[in-house]
Amino acid sequence: MTLASRYDILVIGAGPAGLAAAAESVAMGLRVALVDEQGAPGGQIYRAITTTPVQQRDVLGADYWYGEKLVAAFERSGAGYSPRTTVWAVTREADEFQIGLSCDGGAQLIRARQVILATGAQERPFPIPGWTLPGVMTAGAAQILLKSAGLVPGGTTVLAGSGPLLYLIAAQFTAAGARVECLLDTTPAGRWRDVLRHAPDFVASPYAAKGWSMLRAAQRMMRIVKGVEQISAIGAGKLDGVRFTTGGHTQDIPADLLLLHQGVVPGINLSNAIGCAHHWDAAQACFTPTVDDWGATSIPGITIAGDAAGIAGARSAEARGTLAALHAASALGHLRTAQRDAQAVAPRRELERWNRGRKFVDALYLPAPEFRIPTGDTIVCRCEEVTARQVTETVALGCTGPNQMKSFLRCGMGPCQGRLCGLTITELIAKERGVSPAETGYYRLRFPVKPITLGELAALPQTDSSVDAVVRIKR
Amino acid sequence: MANPATFDIAVVGGGLVGAAIGYGLARGGVQVALLDEGDIAYRASRGNFGLVWVQGKGLGLAPYSNWTQLSARRWPELAALLRADADTDVALEQPGGFHLCLSERELEVRVQTLTRLFAQPGLEAYPFEVLDHAALADRIPGIGSAVVGGTYTRLDGHVNALKLLRALHAGFGKHGGTYLPNTRTERLQSSGGRFVLEAHGTTLRASKIVLAAGLGNLHLAPQVGLAAPVRPQRGQILVLERVRRFLHHPLATLRQTDEGTVLIGDSQEEAGYDDTVGLAVLATLADRALRTFPALRDVRINRTWAALRVMSPDGFPVYEQSRAQPGAFLATCHSGVTLAAAHALELAPLIAAGDLGPRLQPFSAERLHVQKAT
Repeated sequence: MTLASRYDILVIGAGPAGLAAAAESVAMGLRVALVDEQGAPGGQIYRAITTTPVQQRDVLGADYWYGEKLVAAFERSGAGYSPRTTVWAVTREADEFQIGLSCDGGAQLIRARQVILATGAQERPFPIPGWTLPGVMTAGAAQILLKSAGLVPGGTTVLAGSGPLLYLIAAQFTAAGARVECLLDTTPAGRWRDVLRHAPDFVASPYAAKGWSMLRAAQRMMRIVKGVEQISAIGAGKLDGVRFTTGGHTQDIPADLLLLHQGVVPGINLSNAIGCAHHWDAAQACFTPTVDDWGATSIPGITIAGDAAGIAGARSAEARGTLAALHAASALGHLRTAQRDAQAVAPRRELERWNRGRKFVDALYLPAPEFRIPTGDTIVCRCEEVTARQVTETVALGCTGPNQMKSFLRCGMGPCQGRLCGLTITELIAKERGVSPAETGYYRLRFPVKPITLGELAALPQTDSSVDAVVRIKR
Repeated sequence: MANPATFDIAVVGGGLVGAAIGYGLARGGVQVALLDEGDIAYRASRGNFGLVWVQGKGLGLAPYSNWTQLSARRWPELAALLRADADTDVALEQPGGFHLCLSERELEVRVQTLTRLFAQPGLEAYPFEVLDHAALADRIPGIGSAVVGGTYTRLDGHVNALKLLRALHAGFGKHGGTYLPNTRTERLQSSGGRFVLEAHGTTLRASKIVLAAGLGNLHLAPQVGLAAPVRPQRGQILVLERVRRFLHHPLATLRQTDEGTVLIGDSQEEAGYDDTVGLAVLATLADRALRTFPALRDVRINRTWAALRVMSPDGFPVYEQSRAQPGAFLATCHSGVTLAAAHALELAPLIAAGDLGPRLQPFSAERLHVQKAT
């Protein structure tokens, strides 16, 4: 659709948080648009739910199809919707925000008084030896191919990593007819004992029964190796096999495809570039935007909903989307505080329900340091091919943080803009220096948060002062 | 054994200016400490465009042109030293550079500027050419029809500014320099012929100090009887993805690095300490780059960058030794790359000797007080 030039609220991202936020905002009578990078609503969790060729419903499961209800409610709401649209900048202009968008190769600027970021999660980097070989990809990327195109891997597939999503994907692939040779579970042996104190809350949560049945199903369908301590992708020019160590014993298995996954972390590129405050979340070993219980950030007018504000899953994201909309409406003076609080009761109850057991899952599946902090010649920054050894050598030169590291090694300067190396670089520097990741800090990111072409940027409006700043000739 | 917290010279500031001076001092066998801030700071050095640029500089202060020319001449020597000391090729190329103009008016102003520059007494003149579109198109394939003309001097060049900063640090370490990151200098005083620096919980002593702290000099200089009336001036840069080498000369506003990325500048904004990027200026930069090289239309912008230049009131460097507290030196400029060779190979030995000499006399901050009084 063609976007208007101004909105009360712009929502970025059409996953559960964004869909709920947009629908709720429209219901309150606000002018709202939702922009999203994909061609159809749903985000990653409900990706391609209105278009997927996978129509046998038990392949993707009931939790996936739950999204139909949410998408339908959004579509009924009448909110503005612009698919295939990338937001590459959000800057403050007087009392509103200017948003730089790109859609079908054309850039434009629109304005909004409130912005809700519902940009979701990204897979945590999984830097093992050989992870850049063709034939190695993230399990999440493979799942997108299944949801959006019905594609399943043809050859011998090995899954490796930890976390509930890994088992879900294993089950979905098997149900769709893929041959999953083996699942290498990197959850540290004995982690169960460490996390038992969180277990009662988990057992009472809606996740417990699902988790057990998923694990048991996977065990029936494939070989599962527990307590894997090391993994390398091996092959010359492309993946030939996977080498792994468990209980001190190393073995090789042939593989055509290695799917890696060790959980998800908030996607913070946009909130970081906007300048929102972030903090180190030790429980999830990642940086997270600092938000209050409405999702409000350190920058008035910027609210974050869903996994982008901290990983808690789809149903929690939906509730947080509603809360963010209530907050934004109230900030616009459209809703009195008492009304806002009254309408927040139901979503807060939902939030509490779906946040139960989260601590247990976080603690159980926090990836072991060996899989987060590589050594030697393992590539850390894929875009610029920077290795772990280069980073540690540069720390020895006196480089203390990721921004100076970026200057010295170019790590994080490529097209992914640090998404695939940022956490690794921070943790690697922190480990070398013997300080915390919180003290080490993260990349300071800049616009465009997604690459746009020179032609797109050149077509945007200029001002007298912008010309003066560059040409510098008296008129 | 000497007290580890006592040095011959302490250099405050680990950016390009401080690192070049520190490297030059350490090469000369002086015991040097280089005090730097942490990972997040106003670091002009990270936003540098990477030009080793001579043409057009020095209108209003002829010795600045001469100093710049001297640095450009000594740059190959610095590059060779860094190759040996830091095992780094900083990708110095000095093939001559072009300043392109996108309107007749711009070209007219450009020629007037150079004419006035060369009319200044004391300026060591260098050859330059004024070229029309056709002449430019022969020498820079791919320029757009919007380019009406430009100027060229063979003195101009460029380096990889990020590799330079790293190489200066590595070379400094190789020659026994002590680098102290996360050590923001808070207080300076002299006591018993020595300077005492209080920095982030530690105390250092040095016989001499060099203030190369960029905008930080504003507050540090007065503590040792110096004046550094600098202000931030924002500059923004676009960084394109790598493309096949198409440009063999640096332009004043666009260059292709040794790694293939294309840098586009340069803007000047008085924006205080706001070092965030502004979209309208980026659009102007992109528009002019596109009119200069239409084939760049579909090349992706990977990054933008905004950094704060360290500007003196007249835009020229300040080099000075404190009269009240001899042994305290100030060095500030906004051309840390161009002047790196002069800083490492000319300025550092003068500081070590304790006298900046007649060549740097014109760069005293006194000129700024005089201007103010008139």
